[in-house]
Order: sequence, then structure tokens, then C-alpha cells
Amino acid sequence: MLRKVRKTTSRSAVTKDDNKVEAMFQGYQDPSGDTIGPEGVERLCQDLGVDPADRKVLILAWKLGAQRMGYFSRAEFCSGCRDMKATDLTKLRAALPGLEDEVAMPSAFQSFFQFAFRFCLTEPRQKIIDVDTAVQMLQLTMPHEAHLPGFTQFLQDQTEYKSINQDQWTSFGRFAQEIRPDCSNYDESQAWPLILDNFVEWCLNHK
Amino acid sequence: MPPLQPVGNRSQTKPQGSSKKLVIKPLKSKPSLPADFEIKTWTRLQDAVQAVHAQTPVACSLEELYRAVEDMCLHKMADRLYAGLQQACDQHTKAQIEKLAGSQAADEVLFLRQMHGCWEEHTSQMLTIRSIFLYLDRSYVLSASSVRSLYEMGLQQFRTHLVHHAEVLRKTIAGANQLIEAERQGESVDRQLLAHLLRMTSALGLYDDSFQAGFLEHTHLFYRAESQRLIQEVEVASYLEHCERRIQEEYERCQHYLEPSTRRHLIKVVEQQLLEAHMAALLNRGFDGLMAEQRTQDLARFYTLAARVQALPALKLRLKDYIRTSGLALIMDEEKDKDMVQLLLEMKSNLDDIVQQAFQKNEGFANALKEAFENFINQRQNKPAELIAKFMDAQLKGGSKGQSDEQMETDLDKALMLFRYISGKDVFEAFYKKDLAKRLLLGRSASVDAEKNMITKLKQECGAQFTNKLEGMFKDIDLSRDIMVSLKQSSVAKSKFPLGIDMNVSILTSGFWPSYPIQEGTLPAELNDYQAVFRDFYLSKHSGRRLVWHNSLGTCVLKVQFRKGLKELQVSLFQTIILMLFNDTAEMSFSDIKAATGIEDRELRRTLQSLACGKLRPINKAPKGRDVDDNDVFFLQCRLLDRQYQIDAAIVRIMKTRKTLSHKLLVNELVVQLKFPIKGADLKKRIESLIDREYLERDRDNAQVYNYLA
Repeated sequence: MLRKVRKTTSRSAVTKDDNKVEAMFQGYQDPSGDTIGPEGVERLCQDLGVDPADRKVLILAWKLGAQRMGYFSRAEFCSGCRDMKATDLTKLRAALPGLEDEVAMPSAFQSFFQFAFRFCLTEPRQKIIDVDTAVQMLQLTMPHEAHLPGFTQFLQDQTEYKSINQDQWTSFGRFAQEIRPDCSNYDESQAWPLILDNFVEWCLNHK
Repeated sequence: MPPLQPVGNRSQTKPQGSSKKLVIKPLKSKPSLPADFEIKTWTRLQDAVQAVHAQTPVACSLEELYRAVEDMCLHKMADRLYAGLQQACDQHTKAQIEKLAGSQAADEVLFLRQMHGCWEEHTSQMLTIRSIFLYLDRSYVLSASSVRSLYEMGLQQFRTHLVHHAEVLRKTIAGANQLIEAERQGESVDRQLLAHLLRMTSALGLYDDSFQAGFLEHTHLFYRAESQRLIQEVEVASYLEHCERRIQEEYERCQHYLEPSTRRHLIKVVEQQLLEAHMAALLNRGFDGLMAEQRTQDLARFYTLAARVQALPALKLRLKDYIRTSGLALIMDEEKDKDMVQLLLEMKSNLDDIVQQAFQKNEGFANALKEAFENFINQRQNKPAELIAKFMDAQLKGGSKGQSDEQMETDLDKALMLFRYISGKDVFEAFYKKDLAKRLLLGRSASVDAEKNMITKLKQECGAQFTNKLEGMFKDIDLSRDIMVSLKQSSVAKSKFPLGIDMNVSILTSGFWPSYPIQEGTLPAELNDYQAVFRDFYLSKHSGRRLVWHNSLGTCVLKVQFRKGLKELQVSLFQTIILMLFNDTAEMSFSDIKAATGIEDRELRRTLQSLACGKLRPINKAPKGRDVDDNDVFFLQCRLLDRQYQIDAAIVRIMKTRKTLSHKLLVNELVVQLKFPIKGADLKKRIESLIDREYLERDRDNAQVYNYLA
């Protein structure tokens, strides 16, 4: 008897949280569809007190598992918020700093880093992102990376690559983890993509 | 008897009345006019008339004179009064005209002035006399039907004496004509005087007979002489300008001093002499020149002047003739074939401008233009139709650089207009179809919209029958694209396609497309495999169809390493077959190539020539020369980048057996398998390309290891 009652309570609690998250979703919902659109996202950011171009927003998108840049579907937003136990705006705002700590963990960072690349693929069969987008994304995803200033400079100086594919993106992530700032442990005969061979050569020429 | 009382009373008053009777008695003797009344009164009036004529003061007041006239009329003396007055006026007028006849005036202007003066006097005196004899004019003249009014009587007398003294009249008319001629020759004359005199002749009823006939004759002679002289002396344009000015002048003449009734006759005479008489000469001598030089203003003048003398049909005929001749000269000149359509378009647009601006958009002229085009453009068989199709082809391929879509569309519309004139539409269709086939197969169209637009227009022009096959061609291309997409997404694609080659097949419904001769050729193994895969795939979807490969239509993009750098060559399939032979060897003789390719002899020679003697020469031949000889030997000039396909193939071959392999081992293996020297960077590039195309992936846990993706 007692168990039964407890069960009911917990179910009603779940329903109550659901309703709260749902209400929050509806507050930003796009009038024309079952999503939060760019305009809604902007209002959400405003209410959360962050700039839409802030790293925290990208992290939030990763946490909510957003598929499309500038949009949160009902399912993404509601289940994401429930998982974070952020049932209202205040709780959601409070959860943001914790998320930044979370991506600092190496395993989460890999997931976040891969997400950032996919997040830029906005067209149906797009497989690559242009160099400018890549530079902006790298600055958002790994702002404190030692290789970053050099690599972005290299990307902007060179003319051979106009876009970056997923293999090159992933490899740079690995490069950032494994290679020392002075590149002394880099070995060209290893399986690094050619773009990184070129980058290291560029680094040595620019010292 | 009271009721009778009042009667009694009345009778009582009778005795009192000293009754005065007013009796009107007739005069004892009838009052009679004084015996000298008529004589005296008439004398007074006659004096007054004489004073008026002599321009001296009249003795009595006009009022008195008026009463005198009235009195005489009341006493039934009107008829005698009228006769007396008539006689007095007649005498005076006669004297005046005789005075003129005796005039010694030195020149005609002076004489004309005298004539004018005489007339002025006459009319003003007659007005004065009429106001004195007004009662006579109002009573007697009105009641007696055969009697003229006083003013009329004066005119009648003036006319009679003038006609009687024919010399005076002749001098007057001749003088007027002389003045007019002087004015035509550019002198300035007293227009006022002319106006007065001509109005006089008109008032006297002498204008038509005595003046106008002679004047028109004069005009006729004057302009006949002038036009005969001018037509010899000046060119057509200035002649026409002169005619326009002359006609304008004659209109002004009518306004200033001629009677309105003269205008029609006068202008007609001028037009006849200046224009009608010389129209043939004007058309023959001047028209073509004006057309050739596009002198719109002169042509507009020509048109309006020709319209005056009903010569528009002749002008139209001449226009047609001109267009036909110049158009024929253009299309028959084979040296101009290259620019024919452009030149025709320019010609048409110039002619349109002329019809618009010079020929007042006359529909008949526009039709003549159209008929002339239809006539000459069909005088040369086939070529114009072919060139129009070629022109459209060039436009649809993108035309000249920097051309906007709108410009392309207007150019196409203009070419379509030329097409309308062509009677051999089937010839056009054949060429258009051939060019369209090339554009579709080689993907050369600048815009699909423009293509479809053009088909719609042709359909409107010639009906659906005409464009059925053309639309079929578009459908074929769309279907082919769909088939290629589904083939490339199918499982067959990955497992069976030869590596490094991307191939597109267009399936052409026979009958829609131009018929192409089938030419044999031995394809490189890779392409042969591809064809086989495609055939199986296609027939599995559409069983019962027959596929025939038209190798001669194929094109390939080859990457070729020239000394100056990497180039992409777009070549025909036959050229490819030959070039690919040089992947294995650097030198081949003609007979070797012939044996290896199986291309028909003539076609092979042609193809080799294009490769070895063109602007870009991927292969060289020895000995040098334009013709391909049986004993010639051919060398490769460049390194075909086909090697990258060989690398790809080797990588896939190795990975297919090993499934998983580290980078270093893979590189070692490749160096062993590939017979040519190769840089590590080149290998990395090929590996990355294969990762990109999802043949390989990096192992998730060990980035130094590749996995093969089946």
C-alpha cells in the first residue's frame, strides 16, 4: 500500500517537473513550429544573461544535443533540461557554470569538440566547413589551447585549403592534446593529415 | 309711369345744349407740291453727289439730304431719283477708269497703287452716297426686284468700265502676278497691296476668271522650270527639303493674300510640278542612298511628301526592293557568314527604327519589311537557318562574357524573329537539335531556364509537333541524372565501380536525338568495367531495353601534368582511349595505337592529329607535320595524373585484404607495390581522399591505424 502511494507521488512529481519545463519551452517556442527558433534562442540567452555567441551557449547546445544551429526542438530542450534538473530559468542559469567544468573533462571534451564540428554543418549533405567558420569554432571550443593562435594564423595565411573536413578537425583535436607547444615531439611520418604536416613546417619557419 | 321718368328727363335737357358740331371739310383744292419741288430737290442732291465725288464739302447737312431723298421717295419719284443717281455715278466711275487707262505710271507697283487708290475712293464714296440715299436703298431697291442696291450698282459700274478698258484690268492682273513671282524669287513685296487688289477682283467677281486661272498657269510654269533645273543640280535630300519649303511658302501666300478657294488648286499645281513629275527620279536616284545612310529625317520628309502625291505605294515598293537587294548581298556573301546573324539583326533593328521614326509606323511599310526579309532570307538554301541556330547556340552557351540574362533573352528573341522569316523550319530544327544535343550532353548550357524558355517560344511559334523531340531530349537528360544518382547510391556502386573514375551516362531515346554513327573503339579496362556495371544496373530496372554505346559522343576530364603545371583536359572519349595507352608506355607507333584502340582508321588519324598537332599538345609525333602517317611514332609530352587512380587502387587493394593496417606499414606496402617513385605527402593526400570518400577510417582508439570500410 505504502509503495503504491510513494510511486504515485514520484509520478506526480515527474509530471510536475515536466509541466514546468514544458512551460519554459512554450515561453520561447516559435509560433510557426514545435521548436525554439533563432528568435526564441536569442530571448532565452537574454533571459539567461549570456551573449548568444558565448561559449556557454555552444556548451548548452551540446548538452541539450541540439541538431541544428539556432534551433532547439521540443524533445531536445525538454529532455535536456529534465536531465540537468533545470526546471525553470533560474535553475538553468545556475547550471551553466557547472557545464563549463563538465567540458573541461577530457572525455566530455572529445564529445563536445566533435559536436562543435557537426553543429556547423547546416546544409543537408554538407561534409566540410569553410576555414573562417573553423577558426571561429576553434576559438569557441578551445579558447586556452596553446597551438590555437598559431594554427588560426596558419589557416588564414595559407591558400591551399579553403575548407576543413571532419578528419582534419578531429586530428587537430588530437594534435592539441598530444603535441608539445614547440612541436618537438611531432613526427611527420606518422598518420597526421597533410594539413598538420604543413602547419608544423609553417611553425618551424615562423620561429 | 315712373319707369319712364328718366327718359323724360333726358329729353328735357335737349333744349339747353348749344350743340357744336365738329365738321371736317375736305380742302377746297388738293394741296399740291410746288411745281419745282422735284427739280429743286434733285438739284440739291445732285450737287451733294458731285461734291462727294469731287471730295469737296457738301453744302447741306446730311440730315437735310436724307430728308430730301425720303420726300422724293414718298412723292413717288423714286424711280427717277434712282435713274438720276445711277447716271451721276456712272459718269464719275467712267471718268476715273479712263484716267487710270491714261496713267503713265512708270512701274507696275506704282500703277497698282493707283489702281488701289481708285478702288479705295470708289468704295468709300459709294458708302457715303449710300448713307445719303439710304431711304431709297431701303424702300425702292427692296420693293423693285430688278434693281440693284446702291453699293452693288457701284460695283457693277466699276466692273463694266474696268472690263471695257481691258488694258487697265490686264495691267492690274499682270502686275499682281509679277509681284507674286518676285516674292517667289525671294524679294519682299507689298503683301498688303496684293491683298487689297485681289480682294477687289474678288469683290468685282473677276477673281476666278481674270486672276486665278492665269495665276495657276503662272505657278505651273514657274515650278516646272524650277523643278527641272533643281532636280539636275541638287541631291535628293536637299531637293526634298526645298519642296517642303516651297509648299510651306505657298500655304503662307494663301493666308496672306490669296482667296481661300485658290489654296486647293495652287497646292495641287505645286505638288504636281515639284513632286509628282519627278517622283520616279527621286525614288531611283535618292532613296537607296538615304536608306543606306539611315537619314531618318530626310526619309521622314520623303514619306510625307510622297504621301501628298499618293506615291506611298511606289515608295513602299522601293523600300521592299532596297531591303531585298541589300539583304541578299549580305546573306550571299560567304565571307560574312561568321557575322551574318549579327549583321541581319542590326539591319532589322535599323529598318525597324526607320519604319517607326520616318514612315510613321505605317503598317503597310512594316509588312513590306517583313515580306522583303522573308523573300531574301530564303534565297540562300539552309545556311541562314543553320547560322540562326548557331547564333542561338552561342547565346545559350552563355554568349559573350558579362552578358546579363535579360540581354541574352532579348538577343534570343531577336534571333527568333529572324527564324520566323525562314521557310525551311526543318533545316533549322535539325541544326538546333544538333546543337542542343551537344549542350545537353556536354553540360554547356548557361541556364536551364533559358533553354526551357526557348523551347516554349519555339512551341508557340511552330506548334508542339515541332518541339516534341526537343522536349524529349530534356526528359532524357533528367531521367539519366536520376538513374545515375540512384546507381551511385546503390550498393553496386561501392563494390563494383573501378576506383578513381567518376562516370556519367546519358540514356538517349533513339528518335529524339540526332542520329549518330556508331564508331568502334576499345575502351580502357576501367571504363569497360564501368560500362558493364551500368548496363547490368540499368537493365535490371528496365528490362527488355536495348542499350547501344555511342562512344564517339563521350567526353572525359583528364588530369594532366604539363611541364608548366597541372591541367585538366576536357577531351573526347577517343582522345582518352589514346592518351590512356601512354599510362603504360612513353612511345607508340601508329600501328600499335591502331591495334590497341580498334578505332576506325580515318577517325583515329583525325583524333591523333587533334592531340599531336593542336594548340595544346599532350603528345608529340615524329616526324613533325600536320598529317598523320602510317609510320609516325608518338611520344607522351606530359605525365598523366591518372597515377593517382593507380595509387587509390593500390591502397584499396591492400586495405581490402588487410582490413586494418598502421600508417607506416601501409606506406611500406605501397612503395613495394607501386612501380613509380612517390612522395609520402602524395600518399597522405590519397589516403585522406579515401577517408573522405569513406573507403577508410582512422581507428577510434589508435589514430595511427586505418580500418577498411566495406
